[in-house]
Amino acid sequence: MLVLLFILFAGLAIGCAIAVVAQRNPLYCAISLIGVFVSLACLYVMLAAPFIAAVQVIVYAGAIMVLVVFVIMLLNVEQEERRRSRLGFLVPVAVVLAAILIAEATFIIWFVDRSPVKPLSNVSDTGLTSSIGSALFTKYLLPFEITSILLLMAIVGAMTLARRIKEIPPGGAVVPGAQVLPLHMFDPTIALDDTRAVAAHGSNEVAEVMGVPDDHDPTKRD
Amino acid sequence: MVPQLSWYLALSAILFTIGVAGVIIKRNVIAMFMCVELMLNAVNLTFVAFSSFFHDVTGQLFVFIVMTVAAAEAAVGLGIIIAIFRNRETLDVDDASILKL
Repeated sequence: MLVLLFILFAGLAIGCAIAVVAQRNPLYCAISLIGVFVSLACLYVMLAAPFIAAVQVIVYAGAIMVLVVFVIMLLNVEQEERRRSRLGFLVPVAVVLAAILIAEATFIIWFVDRSPVKPLSNVSDTGLTSSIGSALFTKYLLPFEITSILLLMAIVGAMTLARRIKEIPPGGAVVPGAQVLPLHMFDPTIALDDTRAVAAHGSNEVAEVMGVPDDHDPTKRD
Repeated sequence: MVPQLSWYLALSAILFTIGVAGVIIKRNVIAMFMCVELMLNAVNLTFVAFSSFFHDVTGQLFVFIVMTVAAAEAAVGLGIIIAIFRNRETLDVDDASILKL
């Protein structure tokens, strides 16, 4: 039974992985990759690691792939056009080397399977959330904290990278709270329906324009 | 008969090799990114298999941290992809061969 399940999910994972590489439309690649993630989550359940399986579905198939699909749709990616291969004679060399690699790997796996291994007991609480949590917050607390700092750096880095810098003119500064006023407030000769706007940086400048005494003195801050 | 450790290792090796081939073959930078994610998942499978067969929780903690790094990588990597697309109007890695936006 377990063997059948392993073959099912392993075949699904390999098939979806080949589809990721073979598809030319990036959206189909993303959907095939979700298939790989879900079948790997099923394999994690078979390996008695339910917490990792849940995190795999939530983080990978949920968060990361939503981000990828969002970027694909945002950028409106076109299909890859087919190009002439530039590899030439390297293709048969690669085939020979790959055959050697597969032979070596098969030999290693066959050899390892023949060697007698004392099987551990079947009962264990390794994959349960409580054992992972107690290890994470006692022995491995420092890697956990470093991970949180890494996530903070990733947030700042992503915001810095994705921001549009070109729209701010050179030498320009963005003042938080800058107020935009209609132009006739500065010059009464301009008609009221002129909708051009000027910016005033700060409330004291606005008060000066509007003739209201500004009793707020920033030098006397208590 | 139950699935052996070597079966999982073989599956992981196959998935990793497919991921490497994808990174080499693909020219779309988003598709290359997804192949890198595939390679990370193959390594995660190895960690979980060893952790489960040797009853040691450390491997699953490694998987936890690898997933965090993958999430951070997704955020920053997709930010870089958006910046490249905004400057070059293409996602082809051959057109973005100099290290300059």
